[in-house]
Amino acid sequence: MKLLDRARLGLAVALAKTVTAVVRKLRLGAASVLPGEIANRLHPKLLALLCEQVREEIIFIVGTNGKTTTSLLLRTILEETGAKIAHNATGANLINGIITALLADTNLLGKLNADYAILEVDENVFPLLLKDCQPGIILGLNLFRDQLDRYGEVDAISDKWQEAILPLPQSTTVILNADDPTLCYLGKNLPQNVLFFGLNEPHLYLEEIPHAVDSIYCPACGASLEYQGVYLSHLGDYHCPSCDFSKAKLDINSQEWGQILVGVYNKYNTLAAGLTAQTLNIAMPLIQETVKNFRAAFGRAEELTVKGKQVRILLSKNPVGMNETIRTINEIKAQGKSETTLLVLNDRTPDGTDVSWIWDVDTEKLAAQGGTIVISGDRVYDMALRIQYSQQNLNNSDLNLIIKEKLKEAIDVALNHTPPEHTLHILPTYSAMLEVRQLLTGRKIQ
Amino acid sequence: MELTLGWLYPTLMSTYGDRGNVICLQQRGYWRELDIKVVRLDLNATVTDFDNIDLFVGGGAQDRQQEIVMRDLQGSKAQIMRNKIEAGTPGVFTCGSPQLLGHYYEPAYGQRIEGLGIFDMVSRHPGNESNRCIGNIAFRLTASPLVQMIQARIGGSPIVIGFENHGGRTYLGNVQPLGRVIVGNGNNQEDGYEGAFYGNAIATYAHGPLLPKNPFLADWLIETALELKYQQNIQLSPLDDDLAEKARKAMFKRLEVGKLAQAATSNE
Repeated sequence: MKLLDRARLGLAVALAKTVTAVVRKLRLGAASVLPGEIANRLHPKLLALLCEQVREEIIFIVGTNGKTTTSLLLRTILEETGAKIAHNATGANLINGIITALLADTNLLGKLNADYAILEVDENVFPLLLKDCQPGIILGLNLFRDQLDRYGEVDAISDKWQEAILPLPQSTTVILNADDPTLCYLGKNLPQNVLFFGLNEPHLYLEEIPHAVDSIYCPACGASLEYQGVYLSHLGDYHCPSCDFSKAKLDINSQEWGQILVGVYNKYNTLAAGLTAQTLNIAMPLIQETVKNFRAAFGRAEELTVKGKQVRILLSKNPVGMNETIRTINEIKAQGKSETTLLVLNDRTPDGTDVSWIWDVDTEKLAAQGGTIVISGDRVYDMALRIQYSQQNLNNSDLNLIIKEKLKEAIDVALNHTPPEHTLHILPTYSAMLEVRQLLTGRKIQ
Repeated sequence: MELTLGWLYPTLMSTYGDRGNVICLQQRGYWRELDIKVVRLDLNATVTDFDNIDLFVGGGAQDRQQEIVMRDLQGSKAQIMRNKIEAGTPGVFTCGSPQLLGHYYEPAYGQRIEGLGIFDMVSRHPGNESNRCIGNIAFRLTASPLVQMIQARIGGSPIVIGFENHGGRTYLGNVQPLGRVIVGNGNNQEDGYEGAFYGNAIATYAHGPLLPKNPFLADWLIETALELKYQQNIQLSPLDDDLAEKARKAMFKRLEVGKLAQAATSNE
């Protein structure tokens, strides 16, 4: 690093760290992105200078669902080896958030202390970030319809990714989900070292393909893909009847793997982190031990106790994720352990400003179970309308629908409607999750 | 009474919650003890399937999916669609669907996609460097006789709200716009028009989805389809639309539609 660069880097880092401290002290709650923005303005090469200091490997994690959970699992595995990890842990995955995360492990002289950097990367920022920061491993989880208002469409994103990855060194390892046809096709067209994870467990097939499905057409020729079975949304075992495109051969045998938490989506997260850890030469027994002992990431199936009641927060930000969440809740309801669900729909930038995705969720399945549904959020009436149209009969006496514009009142009423020994399930969008957590714990997220 | 609702290419053209339009029509029928049967007009749908439809619903699509649709919607299927819309079969077509009802659509990449040419309009994508038209939209209904019929029902000057998200821009020829934009981009960000109206077919860029929050449009579609099918005057019983009304009020307030609409009226 040039001396001048070093001096400016030190200055930028020092200022950013001061901002972090002030923001935390004043509980302003924006400490996950603001310092990065300030430091980046002071020193435009900051990101590149930080990235080149990572001692072992930089790992990018991209995809619509599961970034945070997968990162956390991978981080925990790597930490078990005694390694020091830099990670943008709070779900702040735009460039400023990534810089802020790296700065947290950087001293005032601009020296970053990290063996690995695990960076959750926003789908659209990914190509931009590659300009400054070259990862050794890129992990692509899945590509669902999420926040399309910001991103354009699934096909367009995958084209952009391909364009961005193609010029990277051949030695880069790209780990992709073979069960997602778009990503599988991407992998087959890359000159880099590509590894595939996925499921080979036909007993987990869904009975029918859910509505909220994006790409069931062959990415190579446009014909309708034939599925032997679907695990989740458009993820499954498939082949194209009109060209030779089919699911790639897997580099991991899912039958030999346990999983973290609950749900098929977490099996994918487990396999993704597991194959990445294997690629980094971590011993299998250590990986599997960590998988066994893993606990939930914040806001993702996180459990809290509030006023003596159990509360489980299940981030629900797109149709695929919310359908899976409803599947999980209905299983728990069927066991008689849950009565009330709180839905919180916001439409701020991190949530996506278009809320029409709620009509692609099978909320009918939630309404059919009866009980109490409490609704709140910036778009409370949009969600209420969705639930109204989810009922067979306009005045369904089995379902107790409560609408509260104010989130605090909604939480209070939802807790009141939760009998002892039952769990209140809260399904918020991203910004709503931060608000819910703050109200429940009395703290902002740092 | 019963209706057959034809949902155009649901696995290809249902990107942005437009299924909500189908759910809305079906439930509003069901709550009034009307049987609205939904037929999914996918690639394997037959000419007879198309011929049986009383009411069409079509949603948005990605460019590649739209190409697949247009390859299928040719020949006798296309001719039946044309004949039915000319004969007054009602329908609501959102985003990608209106693009294919016009003469053609030029995507960002690749070749021009020929449309059905039912609506005298063309659509072009100005290229991926141009911004997409994204955001909440509110527009005043102006298409005749749609607006008069809805006024007779609900009074006032009907305002439609939704969420637009389109790369393509649509330019109208000899066809009525559906309405005038109050907030948002509309057909092309230039002429202030939104959507188009021909026969009894509504074409619009407004997702949201469109019908649940503009229930007067849903009821007009059902009534029109029933009148055509049963050749008699139909008056649907009112439903409790309190939640839709509250959702509309909240959006009007946020977009300051009241102020803007008033300013627009006094300028006219």
